[in-house]
Amino acid sequence: MGDNFQNNKTMAPVMMDYDFKVKTQNERSKVEDLFDFEGCKVGRGTYGHVYKARRKDGSDTKDYALKQIEGTGLSMSACREIALLRELKHPNVINLIRVFLSHTDRKVWLLFDYAEHDLWHIIKFHRAAKANKKSVMVPKGMVKSLLYQILDGIHYLHSNWVLHRDLKPANILVMGEGPERGRVKIADMGFARLFNAPLKPLADLDPVVVTFWYRAPELLLGARHYTKAIDIWAIGCIFAELLTSEPIFHCRQEDIKTSNPYHHDQLDRIFNVMGFPQEKDWEDIRKMPEHATLVKDFKRSNYQNCSLSKYMDRHKIKPDSKAFSLLQRLLLMDPNKRITSEQAMQDPYFTEDPPTTPDVFAGCPIPYPKREFLTDDDQEDKSDSKARQNQQQQQQQPNTQQNQVQANSHDHGANNAKRMRMAGPNQGNNNTTGGQQEFHQQQQMMFGGQQQGGNSQQQGNFQQRY
Amino acid sequence: MAGNFWQSSHHQQWILDKTDLIRDRQHDLSILSDEEYQKIFNFFASIIQVLGEQLKLRQQVIATATVYFKRFYARNSLKCIDPLLLAPTCVFLASKVEEFGVISNSRLITTCQTVIKNKFGYAYGQQEFPYRTNHILECEFYLLENLDCCLIVYQPYRPLLLFVQDIGQEDQLLTYAWRIVNDSLRTDVSLLYPPYQIAIAALHIACVMLGKENQKSWFAELNVDMDKIQEIVRSIINLYEMWKSYDEKKEIQGLLAKMPKPKPAPQR
Ligand SMILES: Nc1ncnc2c1ncn2[C@@H]1O[C@H](COP(=O)(O)OP(=O)(O)O)[C@@H](O)[C@H]1O
Ligand SMILES: [Mg+2]
Repeated sequence: MGDNFQNNKTMAPVMMDYDFKVKTQNERSKVEDLFDFEGCKVGRGTYGHVYKARRKDGSDTKDYALKQIEGTGLSMSACREIALLRELKHPNVINLIRVFLSHTDRKVWLLFDYAEHDLWHIIKFHRAAKANKKSVMVPKGMVKSLLYQILDGIHYLHSNWVLHRDLKPANILVMGEGPERGRVKIADMGFARLFNAPLKPLADLDPVVVTFWYRAPELLLGARHYTKAIDIWAIGCIFAELLTSEPIFHCRQEDIKTSNPYHHDQLDRIFNVMGFPQEKDWEDIRKMPEHATLVKDFKRSNYQNCSLSKYMDRHKIKPDSKAFSLLQRLLLMDPNKRITSEQAMQDPYFTEDPPTTPDVFAGCPIPYPKREFLTDDDQEDKSDSKARQNQQQQQQQPNTQQNQVQANSHDHGANNAKRMRMAGPNQGNNNTTGGQQEFHQQQQMMFGGQQQGGNSQQQGNFQQRY
Repeated sequence: MAGNFWQSSHHQQWILDKTDLIRDRQHDLSILSDEEYQKIFNFFASIIQVLGEQLKLRQQVIATATVYFKRFYARNSLKCIDPLLLAPTCVFLASKVEEFGVISNSRLITTCQTVIKNKFGYAYGQQEFPYRTNHILECEFYLLENLDCCLIVYQPYRPLLLFVQDIGQEDQLLTYAWRIVNDSLRTDVSLLYPPYQIAIAALHIACVMLGKENQKSWFAELNVDMDKIQEIVRSIINLYEMWKSYDEKKEIQGLLAKMPKPKPAPQR
């Protein structure tokens, strides 16, 4: 009976059936067969490279974003992002269309809808305009609409037991021209996690996550667990930055991730804006792991004249405005007192004029430049030739926006990348509407009501959706 | 995603229809009887359970790994990928999704080796665990594809806790029902019914076992399809019946020998 195993003992086992392997290989589509994206890198974060892509078969002429996950194989953050995005569906959360697994080089690719703008670039544009004493024409309610949609998306995440944990302007995308014009899309779920059942203290897994400027004071004081309130603090920071075009808790940046959450300079900056927290305002501050260090390092008297209202007043936001009063509720030092996304959406700020709009640009022309393509210095040959090609294409286009590249003081990781403007791939139009319709039908099949039957043919298949 | 089972991929894509499931298994069931097929799954569920325990994973993670395993073979024949490779791959993937912290490749392989040698020697004899990290990583991509990237699996444990709280019962009921949920992983119910129904069925069996007839009214007040609950109860009871007359240590080598196996590339 045991013969089979005895025989196998000296042989390498056959792990996979040959026919199965060939069959799946033939069915699997490769990202580079379906999409054009060479030389079209638009983003580089810690966990991946993002490309602007077009379908090769021209079945639609939409832009897509392709994110190539850093490294090879299924990292934990890739797993999280796929697992969560596969389940999430909300107008203000970026939609994961498809996953490509490239078996040969073991790369993981995620396909998203393309969002032309993000708050990092939008704020940068406003800063530059301010520095040049030019005013930017934006609708009065834009900040309000942006904040409302961010809150809406986060409320959806939070009510599904998902914490984002890395909210910052670069991860808040805004859709450009098209059917979803001016809609906020919360992106970058690489750090996100379910919080209903912490398996380990969260801080043990990724020593330090949220970018310092948007990091809540309790995290800086060593809080071991992430909470909804931490996301809310980050939203408060983003709101302030939208109102003033300055990162409210701007602080000298350190490149290296330390495993120590305590960060003296960042706390100092927060106190310089907010004032030093009173015992009565934040009773549990004494229970924070780094409280002793705080007492040792800081003197209350140094921050006697600091308050959020004074800071915002200096930036022309009146302390009696509705915007200010909402900001203050988002940026409460005590995480237990900070409001929830749901409460924030009920704030009177959103009912006073001007009203919020589903298109944050309220139908006005979009003043912000399109995303620039990045090239790596170390990839020069390949991407440069492509770049030249693209530039030629662009010169033939009459309506190209003229946008200067602005120097920026707080670059988000594209330091050694040359930036240039050029047109996307396949800019020559080949319009076919049929494909688009089919796509919508397929989508309905995927997400619409209950699936009947369990067999693979009947089911909308995520991998084969395209 | 605890709040949203109805919109989940689990609900929308992975509650399978029984006739479809049986049809998709036709190839394997032309070689194995229903019972033999179930015994083989029972065996690999044990391997996943023991591996998970050795790696100090929570039961939730182990259950997720087991469901991945079942989902893969709900769509594929046992011959497509050697289950002895797929089982640890499921554990590896589930531990990443449930964020237990990354299990290092070497620790996974070492654990597989010791577990197969020390706990499952009755099945594999002198044969060592034959796979290495690169096999697991390659297999992981196939697994993810076949799961259609649906990685979040709802388990009956959470609803079970809520129901027991609602009944206001002591720990004994929970302990029994919890074990029954664990046992249910060895049947097809996790492929066919939503987890809250499995939790109710487990509670039902536990109440009967403990002679708690006075809980009848609690079940009566539930707004659930009692026929479905009865189907689940029957599947689990059938498993217990099967166990009564089954000696895995004696039979498993024969079953594994009979199991359909991967075929290598044709020789030229
Ligand atoms: N869907 C998208 N459309 C357009 N640009 C995107 C999209 N997703 C990401 N990007 C760009 O790429 C950058 C990095 O992507 P992100 O998902 O945040 O990855 P990371 O984890 O590496 O930060 C973003 O800040 C943004 O500029
Ligand atoms: Mg990012």
